[in-house]
Amino acid sequence: MKKLTINIFLIITAFIIYFLQANFFNWFTISGVMPNLFVIFILFIGLFSNRITGVVYGVVIGAILDLAIGAQIGINAVGLGIIGFLAATFDKNFSKDSRATIMFMVLGATLIFETFVYILNYIVFSTNVEIMNFIKILAIEIIYNLIIVIIVYPLMQKFGYSIENEYKGNKILTRYF
Amino acid sequence: MYKKKKAEIAGIVITIVILIFIVIFSNSDSEISFFENAASKLVMPVQNGLTYLKNKISGNSTFFTDINNLKEENEELEQKNSELEQSLRELENIKSENETLKEYLDLTEKYGEYKTVPAYIINKDMSNYSKTIVINVGSDDGIKENMTVIADQGLVGHVVSVTNNTAKIRTIIDTSSSVSCSLSTTDESIVCKGTLEEESALKAMYIPDDDGIIQGDSVETSGLGGIYPKGIHVGNIKKVVNTKNATDRYAIVETAVDFEKLDTVLVITNN
Repeated sequence: MKKLTINIFLIITAFIIYFLQANFFNWFTISGVMPNLFVIFILFIGLFSNRITGVVYGVVIGAILDLAIGAQIGINAVGLGIIGFLAATFDKNFSKDSRATIMFMVLGATLIFETFVYILNYIVFSTNVEIMNFIKILAIEIIYNLIIVIIVYPLMQKFGYSIENEYKGNKILTRYF
Repeated sequence: MYKKKKAEIAGIVITIVILIFIVIFSNSDSEISFFENAASKLVMPVQNGLTYLKNKISGNSTFFTDINNLKEENEELEQKNSELEQSLRELENIKSENETLKEYLDLTEKYGEYKTVPAYIINKDMSNYSKTIVINVGSDDGIKENMTVIADQGLVGHVVSVTNNTAKIRTIIDTSSSVSCSLSTTDESIVCKGTLEEESALKAMYIPDDDGIIQGDSVETSGLGGIYPKGIHVGNIKKVVNTKNATDRYAIVETAVDFEKLDTVLVITNN
């Protein structure tokens, strides 16, 4: 796959995720809690491409979300940018060949992203601090994200390695030796 | 290799099925009635068959003589039934049309004193922690920041940002929203804040020390704060939560607007 094709594919996927999140997962919830597909998507990009691509996609998609629906520009952009950055760190330290490690990464990414956004919202908008309710919603959201990863993992692997071949080429296996 | 792939597909299918069950059960209010329904669906065909057999045996003598009359009667009834079904469908269409028109009329009549712009909700927040919405009117329609947004039942929120054709609304159930309100019975001032606890509920803070607040009290905007005009219905007191420290006690206000089903709003342009 050429880099251009990969990027077109990623942009189309981002649109599909946006419409899924806005329409389907608005009512297909667990106790009223939606998953966060964008966290999974940015983590996927950062893991299989490189740090810069992960951060760029995170910031751009986050900014679009902020512009489209968010009350304050920048919160999602910074949050997803951090996930893109962290994904490359995860890639350096963990193997992507196991479903369990990917699930572990998604757990960490969702936890970091939502906590960061919640704290930032508290600082910017002085929202009420409801720690117990926040933890409850976050726990359900993490479980939902993990279930989605179980379902889409074969797709992530298939397309992920095609992306990795293009972006990393012969540097892929160096860390194992 | 083939077996591994097959097991993986089976695993994914099972996960999807489990996810669907979790979604259904976690959002259903009546899990017991679901089981009852499933059980009755399982048992009823057998029960019906047994009853039919029992009736047939007990009325065996007249069974063959009545069968021709029954056939004719059945045809007539089927004909009548299809005619009735047709008229029922027509009536249902008229009814839903009537309800939509009435809703619009109610909205404009109820808030006749305000100059309003009607709008549809075109997007809802994708986060679990904030509740903003986007409507299909913007600065081209005279919408400006901080304008109040209402629905037929009461207060929805206020405009936080505007583009040419859309406007972003921070609803009163958003955790960063604070509305200065007053109780209709005592005229005491309270502050209603959005909470993560419930979708259609607010947390009423700074409740006066005396027992002037009771369950069911109507809550309206007080007009303080400069955004919301006075007298817009917000909701009703659902329960009062007493704490050890009297100043910390709060009440849960059930919002008048059902935010899950909300799709039409009015923007007040002359606050």
